[in-house]
Amino acid sequence: MASGYPPPLEGSAEVKEGFLCPLCLKDLQSFYQLQDHYEEEHSGDNRQVGSQLKSLVQKAKKAKDKLLKRDGDERAETSYESFYYGGVDPYMWEPQELGATRSHLDLFKKHRAARIDHYVIEVNKRIIRLEKLTSFDRINMDGGKIRALEKSVVPWVSDQDVPFCPDCGGKFNLRNRRHHCRLCGSIMCGKCMEFVPLVLAYKLTSGTREALYVAGSPGHGAPPGGGGLTVQQPQASRRGSISSLSSVSSVLEEKDEDRIRCCHHCMDALLRHQRKLDEKDHVPDIVKFYERLRMCMDKVDEKAPEYIRMAESLNAGETTYNLETAGSLRLEVQKYYEHIDALSKKILTLGLKDEVQPHPKTLQLQRMVRYSATLFVQEKLLGLMSLPTKENYEELKEKKRYEQQHRQAALEAHKRRSEIDKSRPLLSANGDAPRPASGPRMTKAGSWLPSSEGTRSHGELDDPLLQQIDNIESFLRQARAAGRSDEVAMLEENLRQLQDEFDAQQTSRAIELSRRLAQEESLQRSQISYLQQRELESRAAARERASDFGEGKGVEEAGEREGDRSRDPDMSPELRPPQTIKSFPRLPGTSPPLQRDECTMAPPAGEAQNSGSTTLLNRFDEEDSIPVEEDPMNPFSKEIQREHHQATVARDEEYNPFEDEEDDVKETDERQDGALGRNPFEEDDDDDRGNPFKDTPDEMLPVASTNPFEDDDDDSAAMDELIEEELLLQQIDNIRAYMFDAKLNGRTDEVELLSQNLKELQCTLQEQKRKTH
Amino acid sequence: PRSALLIKMNVVLAVKQYVSKMIESSGTGMKVLLMDKETTSIVSMVYTQSEILQKEVYLFERIDSQNRESMKHLKAICYLRPTKENVENLIQELRRPKYSVYFIYFSNVISKSEVKALAEADEQEVVAEVQEFYGDFIAVNPHLFSLNLHGVSRGRSWEPITLPRVTQGLTSVLLALKKCPMIRYQLSSDMAKRLAESVKQIITKEYELFDFRKTEVSPLLLILDRSDDAITPLLNQWTYQAMVHELLALNNNRIDLSRVPGINKDLKEVVLSAENDEFYANNLYLNFGEIGTNIKNLMEDFQKKKPKGQQKLESIADMKAFVDNYPQFKKMSGTVSKHVTVVGELSRLVSERLLMEVSEVEQELACQNDHSSAQQNVRRLLQNPRVAELDAVRLVMLYALRYERHSSNILPSLLEELQSSFLFCIICDLITPTDAVAITKQFFKGLKGVENVYTQHQPLLHDTLDQLIKGRLKDSQFPYLGPNSLRDRPQDIIVFIIGGATYEEALTVYNLNRTMPGVRIVLGGTTIHNTKSFLEEVTSSVGLGHGGDRTHGAGRPPTRR
Repeated sequence: MASGYPPPLEGSAEVKEGFLCPLCLKDLQSFYQLQDHYEEEHSGDNRQVGSQLKSLVQKAKKAKDKLLKRDGDERAETSYESFYYGGVDPYMWEPQELGATRSHLDLFKKHRAARIDHYVIEVNKRIIRLEKLTSFDRINMDGGKIRALEKSVVPWVSDQDVPFCPDCGGKFNLRNRRHHCRLCGSIMCGKCMEFVPLVLAYKLTSGTREALYVAGSPGHGAPPGGGGLTVQQPQASRRGSISSLSSVSSVLEEKDEDRIRCCHHCMDALLRHQRKLDEKDHVPDIVKFYERLRMCMDKVDEKAPEYIRMAESLNAGETTYNLETAGSLRLEVQKYYEHIDALSKKILTLGLKDEVQPHPKTLQLQRMVRYSATLFVQEKLLGLMSLPTKENYEELKEKKRYEQQHRQAALEAHKRRSEIDKSRPLLSANGDAPRPASGPRMTKAGSWLPSSEGTRSHGELDDPLLQQIDNIESFLRQARAAGRSDEVAMLEENLRQLQDEFDAQQTSRAIELSRRLAQEESLQRSQISYLQQRELESRAAARERASDFGEGKGVEEAGEREGDRSRDPDMSPELRPPQTIKSFPRLPGTSPPLQRDECTMAPPAGEAQNSGSTTLLNRFDEEDSIPVEEDPMNPFSKEIQREHHQATVARDEEYNPFEDEEDDVKETDERQDGALGRNPFEEDDDDDRGNPFKDTPDEMLPVASTNPFEDDDDDSAAMDELIEEELLLQQIDNIRAYMFDAKLNGRTDEVELLSQNLKELQCTLQEQKRKTH
Repeated sequence: PRSALLIKMNVVLAVKQYVSKMIESSGTGMKVLLMDKETTSIVSMVYTQSEILQKEVYLFERIDSQNRESMKHLKAICYLRPTKENVENLIQELRRPKYSVYFIYFSNVISKSEVKALAEADEQEVVAEVQEFYGDFIAVNPHLFSLNLHGVSRGRSWEPITLPRVTQGLTSVLLALKKCPMIRYQLSSDMAKRLAESVKQIITKEYELFDFRKTEVSPLLLILDRSDDAITPLLNQWTYQAMVHELLALNNNRIDLSRVPGINKDLKEVVLSAENDEFYANNLYLNFGEIGTNIKNLMEDFQKKKPKGQQKLESIADMKAFVDNYPQFKKMSGTVSKHVTVVGELSRLVSERLLMEVSEVEQELACQNDHSSAQQNVRRLLQNPRVAELDAVRLVMLYALRYERHSSNILPSLLEELQSSFLFCIICDLITPTDAVAITKQFFKGLKGVENVYTQHQPLLHDTLDQLIKGRLKDSQFPYLGPNSLRDRPQDIIVFIIGGATYEEALTVYNLNRTMPGVRIVLGGTTIHNTKSFLEEVTSSVGLGHGGDRTHGAGRPPTRR
């Protein structure tokens, strides 16, 4: 309807798609054109269809991500709505772009690059030297030879140039001898000297050296601590040289078999480099778990909406999805939840059993990860609705089919009737009484259609929605057969939306009609009998008179109606309260529906509405009869009854906005009484002991019950009262609106809550009024 | 078309978008948010913990905290004010990085030399981003911001260190909202002039930053001085947010309830944020009576949604209903207990301190002209032992502001009764420089169309803005800075009050926003005052020593805060 469909499979030129007008099936190119068209062509039509269109528009917007966007206008508009927040004041929450920003990254990188280059070169130089220093057999080589080799790697600073240790400032002498860094050639004292263990050296140079070579290296006998660092090995004796030319023996003695001396600057650079290497390879446990955790969450985000779509559809008794598929998807999603729970628990307890407890920040991190996972599960899992059992599903399907057939029946009946209506002038000219003829036929249709399967003729569906549903279904079959999963998904989505739409449309039509019925039924019956009488009386003149019945004779009819009503034995007393008459003038189309000729006359505003309500009237008749007929076997009869009951009440309420408060209270009272027996949630259970949620409320309740606004100050009481009365009235209006909405959407629980709310509010208002007057 | 007109004036959203952007740009993986004291407040005003947790930010750290562990598996998002200390701390951090990668954002303009110093410290190449995101202010409501600065003045001029900070804050608001405004200021205030010039200087210096798409009508920055209206911050308030601040003191959306008798330990500190508390969002601007009704409804709602006892959860339908309602229920139970407690405490204070009576007299003082009645009422209340000292002080101050020039005023005897001589100095300070004409004009305004005796008063700001919007604000009193002036009526207005705004003024601006089509006003202040903080501000400005604790000096039961 108001939504564009993706291009269907090939060879479907006859399909009506795009922005079809719901009333005349005309294809409009865009949503806006549709809207304009609607306003121009059908503006006089029944308002309810208008609201239908509006809801369609909303739906279409919601589905905008999935469906093709046909024009730029729409896109421009919808891009704003994604920013809308429910919060403070819509006015203030208008979208806005990100504030000004300025990046310094380029400047930063420029300065850093200069520094980094220098740094990297230094480190690399040292590593290359380190490689050279470790590339020969240290153990078996003569000390002097080693020294010569070492000196060839980097030129040593001459002793004479350095009288003091550059690091600690100590004077060099016999006791405090000079040592050369093998990596940069600089001089330091023994205290400031550091050693690179060969293990570390191999590790650092492994990038430039063959791994085999390292393994085979003789100096690599038993790495202390498996590659760990033992930099500051305690030195039993540390004898340096007085000068670099000092005795060979001392050199021999201090021959470093498994380490290389260096200054602490070089050591620092190497260590930092090493840490970097370590970090590159090392992935802590928490990260491993965390990555899996996130993966599971992503999966849930992906699968859960899919499942919810399926479950909703299945629970509604639709046949778009397969129960087994949904079941296995549910299992899959649940599995992910279990994983999330288990993984986050694992993260929470990481390192807790270690001897050295982790840093408090680590623990905090773990707690937070767990907490957010818990939030995630709470939010998503709890929204995961259950699937119907197999039996349930069969019942649901049955129910759905039943409903659809009824709708279908109603539609066909309507069609038939409108055909009859078309030919009615002829008939009446022939002297037939048209109304009695169509009445029985409808009741017959109501009881007859459900038993006959497959009466739904695909070719000649009246409703454009049904037509489209039908089309999509056939595409879906084709697509499934062709194994095009993408298209299947898309079509399923379309189908689902269409079915929703159709349901909503039917429901709202039915409700609209049923509301009207409370007034109209009695009225129409009286009119029928009146008509019958009248037609019987004046068959010959029927044609002329019939055409101006509704418009012309309102007053006369009203009088007659009163009389008829008392004569009608079928009418229940509730269906003709005085309010009916009160609200009667508000119904524009109360003229007898039989008078109309839809096709030959340009329909004035009231007419279309009237035709709609006639259809609905018929359907209502049938639906009304469902519970009665099905009562013993139908598991839903109770529900239906309840709905029906509520609908009746609603009807009364809806149409009697001027009635007294007492009436209203009484009605809700009645309903309440009925509801209490059925609904376990309604019962008051203040005596509950085991309720874990009780403790906070308990503490709060006294605060509220001794509500300070009511009795604390006389001054304030007076002020509050005034405000309250106005608010109460407002609130009552609001709640009525909510109730209506809830009923429309079939949320019966909510309706009950609301009606109770309403009752209480009305009581309060009464009290207020009593007080003030 | 509608949307095109009404954009880019929401300060809360502006900061929120900055923060969201920072987090998004850092990609996936566990993150830590590294902040300073002020940016912590800034971020906490727009994001709740659970909201930010969903974006994989698990730790919140202060850059100056010594107790941070090296966690190379975390990404760090740094949001810092560009202060010397922060830059120094960050340099140290980069030398020995504790996290794998750093995304650095400054809340204001940072110098090139500091960028260089940082770059040179980043030897390990851990920095992936360096940007300026101008969220250098506290976004309180969508149209209200604060700089959380107290004691900004000394005498009639700026406390030297605060002028640059206020300039930074104000320019960052302009940048966050992408406004390059014309500036008008209150001529009677030298501080307003100085600030206007200082802001202009920044705009000129950073002209590239302020090069926004031109709008038809240039935005306007109006700089006012609190001294122009000393009455508003002295009045008791009756709308929810304002009342909470007046009686319980809102501090970065938090209130301290620890002194409430019999308080539940979970509720010792509560957060009131319109961002994630629907009840609060809907009741922020409603008056006490309306809130009473609404909280009752909330309670009733809650009692209905409250899950029934365990034994009732037998059938699957019961379970389902429970599960369906559970998330809302949990959220609701927190909301309910919080607001019931807060409103309960407010009403306790109202009755204990006779605030209805006090407020009535305050309003009479502020809006009517009947000296003999005012004098009697003030004296009567001063003699009532239940009236708290703070309220006594405000009554006397209002009396002084109103009737100081009245021939038969009883101010000396009232002051004597207060036994609080230092107050006299404050009062003198408040009276002398203030524009007597404006005050008098304001006093008579309330007379027409009084609807509610407790909320007769309209802040002076209402008049000022009303005139501004209608293009009638006098250039002689509120001159433009520079040669250019606005030919059309202003549309986007940022009004800033040196010395602090109030929630009553926020309400006024909120209502103006709602009633004036096409006009968008954002209100800011060096802080948001209640009476107590205002008195402290005045005290510190007058140089009467340290803090306003002396208000609790002599002879009266201490005010209950």
